Amino acid sequence: MAAHATTDHDLAPGEIAKPNTGWIWKTFWVLVGITALEFVFVFFMNAGTARNTIFIILTIFKAFFIVAEFMHLKHETKGLIWTILVPTSLLIWLLVALITEGSAIGEVLAHMFS
Amino acid sequence: MAHHAPSATATLDAPRTGTWDGGNEPFKASYGKLMMWFFLLSDAFTFAAFLTTYGFIRHKHEVFAGPGKFFASTRWWPVPDQVFNAFPGLHGVDLPLAFVALMTMILIFSSVTMVLAVEAGHRMDKADVQKWLLWTILFGATFLGSQAWEWTHFIHGTEKGLTMADGSVVHGANLAVNQYGPVLFADLFFFITGFHGTHVFSGVCLLIWCFIATTNGTFHKRGHYEMVEKIGLYWHFVDLVWVFVFTFFYLV
Repeated sequence: MAAHATTDHDLAPGEIAKPNTGWIWKTFWVLVGITALEFVFVFFMNAGTARNTIFIILTIFKAFFIVAEFMHLKHETKGLIWTILVPTSLLIWLLVALITEGSAIGEVLAHMFS
Repeated sequence: MAHHAPSATATLDAPRTGTWDGGNEPFKASYGKLMMWFFLLSDAFTFAAFLTTYGFIRHKHEVFAGPGKFFASTRWWPVPDQVFNAFPGLHGVDLPLAFVALMTMILIFSSVTMVLAVEAGHRMDKADVQKWLLWTILFGATFLGSQAWEWTHFIHGTEKGLTMADGSVVHGANLAVNQYGPVLFADLFFFITGFHGTHVFSGVCLLIWCFIATTNGTFHKRGHYEMVEKIGLYWHFVDLVWVFVFTFFYLV
């Protein structure tokens, strides 16, 4: 097995493969770029539903790059990808449902004594 | 078909070799890595519960609608860049979200050094694994220090504070009072960033242990650095959570 083949490298440090880090730094710059873009929107766009939508889309982009590249999920089997994504997408449903509920309760509280 | 032809002799089925028939790894991932993924999924439930609670409570509160410039009140939800505008060593300077931007960069950097450690592990490059693990520990500890500063500032508050209806002045925030807005805002701040910070702390502990084991040659003798990969998954998840906390707590 690979376990035995690789221990030989301990004896010959010169045999260590060259680092392959191009994709890592590419992902890093994507993350930095998206974060910088978020700050542009914070300071140069008025708060509101449109800005919040942009933030949420950019956040999902960032999450995609972290999970797909850094956590390597993009390169796993389809079964594992769906196992992680399906329960997570149900959480988004929960989030949307309860935020809507919160708005409704806020509305009720605002008019309770009037 | 075999069952159409009855026979007196017993026939043996050929061994089943389908994906889910056992004896193999359908997800082509080791037990340990798979269990780390499932743990992280369960952890995502916890954080999603926190953020959902935040969204629910925030939408339940009034939004400041003027007239004039925004000012803190227990009536409406605070605007984050009016609350988080301080920077260590720059007292009284209004720098909205500057410190949290720095914290975000530190965490992204730590994710990069972590993935570099995993990459070095694939090449069985012990020295590189050690180097990148040390950088990750350094960035992780720096993030924790930054968070400690932010909490201290948030708890102590500003000289001006918030004047309540009875004339008393509240400085800073704790679980019962809050100068920046509704008490629940401070509660959610402490619980969400605190729970995330606890995760970072656990991650730093795991990384320190991992560094010691790497230095002792444990993984090299084992023939693979999968442990670095598993801790890496955890560490990236912590970074991922921060991406969401950053958006929903500081930006939106």
